[in-house]
Amino acid sequence: MCDHSKNIYLPHLATITEMRDETADIRSFRLVFQDEQVRENFSYRAGQFAEYSAFGAGEATFCIASPPTRQGYIECCFRSVGRVTDALRALEIGDTIGVRGPYGNSFPIEEFYGKNMLFVTGGIALPPLRTVIWNCLDLREKFGTITIVYGARSEDDLVYKHELKEWEERPDVTLVKTVDPGGSSPSWDGQVGFVPTVLEQAAPSAENCIALVCGPPIMIKFTLPVLEKLGFSDDAIYTTLENRMKCGLGKCGRCNVGNVYVCKDGPVFTARQVKAMPQEF
Amino acid sequence: MALTISEANLRLLIDLLIGAGKRVIGPKRVGEMTVYEPLLSGADLSPGTLPRRSAKEAFFPLSETILTYEKDKEGLKVTDVDTATFPETVLVGALPCDAAAPQVMDAVFSWDYKDEFYLERRRRTTIIGLSCTSADDSCFCTLVGLSPTETKGSDLFLTPLVGGGYSCQSISDRGGELLANYPHLFSETASVTPLPPARPEGGPVDLAKVKGWLEEHFEDEIWEEVADRCIGCGACAFLCPACHCFDIVDEGTEAKGVRRKNWDACAFGKFTNHASGHNPRDLQNKRYRNRFMHKFKYYDDKFGKTLCTGCGRCIRSCPVGIDIKGILEEIQKR
Repeated sequence: MCDHSKNIYLPHLATITEMRDETADIRSFRLVFQDEQVRENFSYRAGQFAEYSAFGAGEATFCIASPPTRQGYIECCFRSVGRVTDALRALEIGDTIGVRGPYGNSFPIEEFYGKNMLFVTGGIALPPLRTVIWNCLDLREKFGTITIVYGARSEDDLVYKHELKEWEERPDVTLVKTVDPGGSSPSWDGQVGFVPTVLEQAAPSAENCIALVCGPPIMIKFTLPVLEKLGFSDDAIYTTLENRMKCGLGKCGRCNVGNVYVCKDGPVFTARQVKAMPQEF
Repeated sequence: MALTISEANLRLLIDLLIGAGKRVIGPKRVGEMTVYEPLLSGADLSPGTLPRRSAKEAFFPLSETILTYEKDKEGLKVTDVDTATFPETVLVGALPCDAAAPQVMDAVFSWDYKDEFYLERRRRTTIIGLSCTSADDSCFCTLVGLSPTETKGSDLFLTPLVGGGYSCQSISDRGGELLANYPHLFSETASVTPLPPARPEGGPVDLAKVKGWLEEHFEDEIWEEVADRCIGCGACAFLCPACHCFDIVDEGTEAKGVRRKNWDACAFGKFTNHASGHNPRDLQNKRYRNRFMHKFKYYDDKFGKTLCTGCGRCIRSCPVGIDIKGILEEIQKR
């Protein structure tokens, strides 16, 4: 057990209790804190992130992908693309990883009560919205319609496939799934087309609706004008910025966009806030 | 009447402080260079010349362990660093640009989450500042609201006197304690003549005006003009008394090792590079723009302070001649 009295860089230790391969290079972990007190007291809000460490390789930043409405564990989801994520991938069930957090701001879920919810996301950007989606579904009666537009390059690149199926089957969720042109097999039963195009065709109503958008910069760039066209105001659109981070605590100096520290002022921003920033992200 | 200390007694003070178990850091000649380093005795002190590197290492080491980890049969264990082992330190002979810098850096390390690695070292450090009597072309403390006689950040402040020795000014309680602990080393002198202070070229810059200009000119040709030549060596950040950016890295194997906090620099291409390959600051001039904006706008937005004390080290040591002072003056004219 670590003494968390003073050292802000000291991680909690957690055990990998479950893992799942979402795609060929994307893996999910379920993590349970080893210290009983941390296990009971660790609380977070949808949208917050953590620093996950593979000891010997270092720390990497991902969102907490599980909803705060589920207790006793947290989940994360990552693609193996570098030293730390490769080392995390090399870990097995029962192994220990470090978790520092939760950090950053969060989605103002309570302000969304009574609203229709639209989630627009692509590829590995589903995890940061998955926490909100489940948060909403676990408190289903507090929200209006729930629509999810999710796309990936190909069928294989869709993450949380079993949950997509579950959402598809639920009568109280509308899931529009799509793959990029060329990314489908003959048995594909979803749409074919880029997320912004498919969103425009699906044309969800902007009335009393909050849109949460998360995806690669190029997807966000082309999605925002579509939402605008559909009648969403910049205050009704939320997104997350995903800059490189080290400390997660507003000290190490690299995640800033202008005078905005993504780790402290974000990662959740409205479209209005994003538009007011220097375009350097 | 002025309180004074002779050159010999200042060196004796250092010996006594070292004898009392303190780490004394001060300007010392090493080969051709003057650098702030732990002094082995008062004889090591070589005051007056601006040291090559800043004094920030006294609070913010180039590399430091923030935890150790080890895996055994029972599992992985993480061990904290005991900040109580940090040395009681006296920084002696810090020129005003170096003495003023920690007060600027305090803001980032103490807002919200507290970085005890920095803060505990700060608590354990007494600063004996020294009035500056020799400026060069690169010095510009007067442009950023400081001066060669600025006492900000010092606990005790020394002013060199004509004929040798220093007049002493207690600036804080901690400075007063030092005087009280070693009364026999200080004397009251009826009349003293200070050496003339240095006179860096260039008048003050209206920092509010510069900030206002920066607000409107994130996109501007000036950034390409002044910084396309930057080669990203990071010397500016490493020598800067106020640059505080750092990296966190593991050294060791998965079974045993240390996690360290190391200096980093916004001039480095990988500083902001995402694992995906996307880099928000993909060009050297964008990195330099961030450095300049951080010092004269962002840090002020966040903490109400300028992240620069005008020491001029980044100008002196830039291999391609990027001149932050010249840029400030240019912006002032616009």
